[in-house]
Amino acid sequence: MTNETSNTSDTAHTDNDRPVIKCDSVFKIFGENTTELMQQANGRIDVEAFKQAGCIFGVNNASFEVHKDEMLIVMGLSGSGKSTLLRCISKLTDTTAGNIYIDGEDLLAMNPKQLIELRRNKMGMVFQSFALLPHKTVLENIAFPLQVKGTNTKDSMQRAMKMVELVDLGGRENYFPRQLSGGQQQRVGIARSLAVEPDIWFLDEPFSALDPLIRKEMQDEFLRLQEMLHKTILFVTHDFDEALRLADRIAIMKDGVIEQCDTPANIVLHPVTEYVAKFTNDVPREKVLTCGNVMEDIATASDLSELKVSRDAIIETVAEAILSEEKPVAVVDENNEAVGSLHASHVIHVLFSKDQPGTSQDLLRAGK
Amino acid sequence: MNNISRHLQLTQFAALLVVFFILCFAIDPSENNILWRLPAFLAAVPEMLNSSVEYAMFEWMPIQTYNPEIEDYEDSALLIEVTRSISRAVLFGIELIREILVGGQKTIVAFTSWDFVSENEWAVWPALPWTVVAGVAIILGYALSGRWLAILVGCATTYIAVFGQWEPAMETLSFVLVAAPASVLLGVFLAILAFKFRVFESALMPLLNVAQTMPHFSYLVPVTVFFGVGDHAGAIATIIFATPPMIRLTLLGLKGVSPEVLEAGMMNGCNKLQLMFKVLIPTARHDILVGVNQVIMQCLAMAVIASFIGAKGLGFNLLLALNQLRIGQALELGICIVLIAVVLDKLSLGWANKQIDYFADLSFSQRNKYPLMMAAILVLGVLLASIGSLIFKNEINYFYLIPHNQGITTENFWQSGVDWMVENWYASLQAFNKGLIINLLVPMKNAYLSMPVAATFVLVMGIGYIVGGLRSALVVGGLLLFIASTEWWDRALITAYMATFGVLVSVVIGTVTGSLCAQNSFATRAILLLCDTFQTFPSFIYLIPVIMLFGVTDTSVLIAVVIYATIPAIRYTVEGLSNVPQSLQDAGTMSGVSRIQRWLQIEMPLAFPHIMLGINQTVVFALFMVIIGAMIGTDDLGQLILKSLSDKHGIGNGLMLGLCVAFIGLAVDQILRTWAHQRKQALGLA
Amino acid sequence: MNFSKLRNKMMAGAIALVFASIGTQAWAKDSSKPIVIPTHNWSSQVVMAYVIGGIFESMGNNVEYKPADSQAVYEAIRLGDITISHEVWQSTFGKSFYNAMAKGGVIDAGTHAAPTLEEMGVPQYVIDDNLCPGLPNWEALKNCKDVFSTADSGGKGRWLEGPQSWHGDLMPVRVKALGLEDDYVVKFAGGADAIWAELASAKKEGCGIITFNWTPNFTDAEGFVFIKFPGYTDGCRVVDGGDGACGSPNGWLKKAANYKFPKTHPAAYTAFSKLSFTTAQIGQMAALVDVDKMSHQDAAKKWLADNKDVWMPFTQ
Repeated sequence: MTNETSNTSDTAHTDNDRPVIKCDSVFKIFGENTTELMQQANGRIDVEAFKQAGCIFGVNNASFEVHKDEMLIVMGLSGSGKSTLLRCISKLTDTTAGNIYIDGEDLLAMNPKQLIELRRNKMGMVFQSFALLPHKTVLENIAFPLQVKGTNTKDSMQRAMKMVELVDLGGRENYFPRQLSGGQQQRVGIARSLAVEPDIWFLDEPFSALDPLIRKEMQDEFLRLQEMLHKTILFVTHDFDEALRLADRIAIMKDGVIEQCDTPANIVLHPVTEYVAKFTNDVPREKVLTCGNVMEDIATASDLSELKVSRDAIIETVAEAILSEEKPVAVVDENNEAVGSLHASHVIHVLFSKDQPGTSQDLLRAGK
Repeated sequence: MNNISRHLQLTQFAALLVVFFILCFAIDPSENNILWRLPAFLAAVPEMLNSSVEYAMFEWMPIQTYNPEIEDYEDSALLIEVTRSISRAVLFGIELIREILVGGQKTIVAFTSWDFVSENEWAVWPALPWTVVAGVAIILGYALSGRWLAILVGCATTYIAVFGQWEPAMETLSFVLVAAPASVLLGVFLAILAFKFRVFESALMPLLNVAQTMPHFSYLVPVTVFFGVGDHAGAIATIIFATPPMIRLTLLGLKGVSPEVLEAGMMNGCNKLQLMFKVLIPTARHDILVGVNQVIMQCLAMAVIASFIGAKGLGFNLLLALNQLRIGQALELGICIVLIAVVLDKLSLGWANKQIDYFADLSFSQRNKYPLMMAAILVLGVLLASIGSLIFKNEINYFYLIPHNQGITTENFWQSGVDWMVENWYASLQAFNKGLIINLLVPMKNAYLSMPVAATFVLVMGIGYIVGGLRSALVVGGLLLFIASTEWWDRALITAYMATFGVLVSVVIGTVTGSLCAQNSFATRAILLLCDTFQTFPSFIYLIPVIMLFGVTDTSVLIAVVIYATIPAIRYTVEGLSNVPQSLQDAGTMSGVSRIQRWLQIEMPLAFPHIMLGINQTVVFALFMVIIGAMIGTDDLGQLILKSLSDKHGIGNGLMLGLCVAFIGLAVDQILRTWAHQRKQALGLA
Repeated sequence: MNFSKLRNKMMAGAIALVFASIGTQAWAKDSSKPIVIPTHNWSSQVVMAYVIGGIFESMGNNVEYKPADSQAVYEAIRLGDITISHEVWQSTFGKSFYNAMAKGGVIDAGTHAAPTLEEMGVPQYVIDDNLCPGLPNWEALKNCKDVFSTADSGGKGRWLEGPQSWHGDLMPVRVKALGLEDDYVVKFAGGADAIWAELASAKKEGCGIITFNWTPNFTDAEGFVFIKFPGYTDGCRVVDGGDGACGSPNGWLKKAANYKFPKTHPAAYTAFSKLSFTTAQIGQMAALVDVDKMSHQDAAKKWLADNKDVWMPFTQ
């Protein structure tokens, strides 16, 4: 089953020809003598040697790709290097080693002029502390990237007004940031980052500074926008629930290393390290997993119930129905063809087993 | 742990005092004893400084210029030609503004020649009627900030016109309108450089420290040598004085911009210029606006001193009035200065906070409402003035320009007030004056003078060491060494004695008044307004009544010092107390503390580091005023600084004496700042 | 080229120009550039500035007034930022004037008719009320130190001298030389205003006061009596080798000008060098402002209108 899920994600990747963002062995090393050591290292980075010389690895050998319309969430606790990674890819900070390609173009080889062009047209970014300009009104803040680009005042204001409507701030366009609540300020931040219609959208802990209720509301808002706009997204958060809720794929970082990069379901079901497993333990699995994620082979179930559930249905939404059936229910794909089965006892196992990853996997196998 | 270190500090202080007193008694006060007084190693420096400046100005890179007036070539030097060109540029700016406001012909001369103006009598720019200037200013106030500012501007301009101070006020305004923007721009520019280049910053900071503690009088002579005498020289001296706080505050603001805002700017595709001028500077605007406010205050505070080197206007008339002992008139002039400061400050604030409506669909007349109104005011005002010329015929045309001192005046009222004060208070104050001088001031002065130089070093460096470690001790010692190596050590001690006394009294009055006023938001606002007023109100005005009451004595000087130096003590106390977190206040209240206990045990300790910075400012203000006290009559450094205006080695003496005063201030600053910083960190406020 | 050479050259130039101007004044026309007249902070000087300005204007010259510190003005004249100074008091500004002249660039433009005296003295009422019997003879001071004592004089009588920049230690030396040092101390005031303020409050209280003062001055109107010290003789002062036990000489009131003035404005310079006011005339000018409370400009206009016979001859 592990194979199956990874296969699906693989096929999803191959559907789009070229990754929008591609990181290849990216390193970001802090320390006084980094430049010297890099010259000596001659391309081959010996992590231990660097560490002994007092260097700190912000990002340690990160390689991954983000494809068109995909949302990759980088999750990690503070100091894990997630924001540093994001800043390497947006080139807000210089990358020590490795390669980063944006739409196949070498980001690190760009001159300042090209970089400015890239940012003016292709990139948008949302910040944790909103980073609004305090002296400009909502409207002026949103119009700012357009004005910087040289769009005339009339057009940029009209475009900004549309963005104000998009993020539901109509009527407040002449407010100053200080007159808005945190959630409203972040709506402005989002609108600003989208004003130039970028292809790539960076979000650096956009909802971390907000109250839980507002955060939930903003996440919904965010999903609504993504539904409409289909951006390629790199989203940084320290909130695992948030990552599970929003992501197509999650990259979990610790001490600069990407521990695991996979779909939310795979991370929950098959954490590859203990560190990752710690996050997954308390996760309400019924909210993350789909029937397809946990179903058993159709062959093992001889006697199926009348009930059919969709492969993509989140378990939480169908659990009650499954649990009320005595027989296993059929799991069907979009063509209504049965691709697997789910028995109530199995569902209970998967959802409520608090065992270590290994044992839970064993349990699953035992269920087979 | 904390307890132990506090005990340790107390013991250290006690030990230091013991050593200090032993040294005081043990060292023999004789001229040749190096422990008593250091030899004046630097005695020759003023002259050297002087000749090098003169060499640079008059001989370095000689060039020949043809002077058509005397039909001959003249020897000149490169530097003087350069500085004189700067002077001409500044002067042109001042005269342009001045002639728009009150008329004249210099601007016409600048484009033609004096011959042309002499031959063509019509070639004089007419003055705008005062009603027009006032009307335009009122509309500006309304456009920038609404009704209240318009009313304020209206009252201020009417006061100035009706009291017959229009011309000098416009003269002062014209030089402020050049000096203030120049200071702001220069300040922002230098702050950007310092922000961009660390090396530049570390070179600039000590210069700023010195510039901010150096008394104004000490660079008047250098300014006249470099730039000549006139309004431009006044403006340049003002710029030198007003720019340092602007640099400091701008830099503070730039450094305070959150990195995310900067990143947001970069991600929005700003290039470097856009990043600086559209993101960084606007985001730092709060601090920059505080800087602008400071610049405007400093510019008007310099109005009187600038008239020493040729600035026309209110300041000069004020000195003249004081010399005739017309205190009422001087007071009216002083109020004009304060009013101009307030109006300019509010207008600049309003301008910075202006908002634009992008979607309003306006007709031409609506869009250009204010310019059109101003044009209408111009027509109306001119019309009114011509009607006025018919009504008043051969008298003063009150609708055009009320000549200097021809308006209404309250002079007699103030004059009789001063007379009344002298008549009724003189006798009783005499006893107080005598008691203070005999029992306190003279013994204190003698005590300062009887300190051996070695003991002073031990005491001051010791305090530096206890508070800030070896580094502070060395810095303070270095500053002291400079003063001790000049021939003015004794005079520096007298300056120090007066400053100490002034600071002590100011701090007591200031913290008590500040604490009382901080209890109530109305009183807080009132006292801060009063502080602003007194900071721009020319201190020269109260020197005269004070002399009349207390004579040419140290008492008079110290009263002037206390009046001026209490301002920052009050201001910082109020600020410090009102910034004590509410949660701590509530915690105190819930623990059942009384009002007094809360003040003593919660508010004061928490506000103390901020108050210390106020005391720091108090020291600088006190030193400035002790130096200005030379105008009353002192025998300290200030007397020599004033004297340097006429000295042969005026430049060198003035600068060296100024440095001595600055270094006293900087030594205190070093200790207080380090201490306040440590306390702030300990309290988690930094 | 070193500094002294430049100075010599400037001096030589100045002298040459003076002669040249005498020779050429008949046909040379004054430059239309304004003559810059300084204004200081006392009435007679400011009124006289406007009077002289009015005279120059009547000759067709352009005039500009610039406020300046009365001590720093000589440096400004030297450098050409200010053209003239019309009240150079011997004892008060003599030093600054000669310092600037030694550097080169300032020339002496003659002396006013007014004889001046700059000396310690007492207000008229001190004599009238007989506060110190025997005054104005200086020996009377020996017996009335208490009349002149102040809070900070330590029981001695006090002489309120002008700022130290005016005559250095002249008065302390004199006190000592006259054997008065046990009875009197000298206190330096910070400026003229401080002296006037002290005089005003002393008058209100009717108490004794000894101050430095000069004549002609506005105090002449209210009455001010100078103390009669032992007569001044050449060489009686310490700087000249004497013991210092002597009073001030009758002094001069000079006029100074920038060295280019004779060349650029020959006619105006001639008038300026001829210009000479008497004590009475200077007193009139000051009184218009100090007593009649006129503005300085108006006072000057009035004086010029009333005294055409005095100033017209200067211009011819």
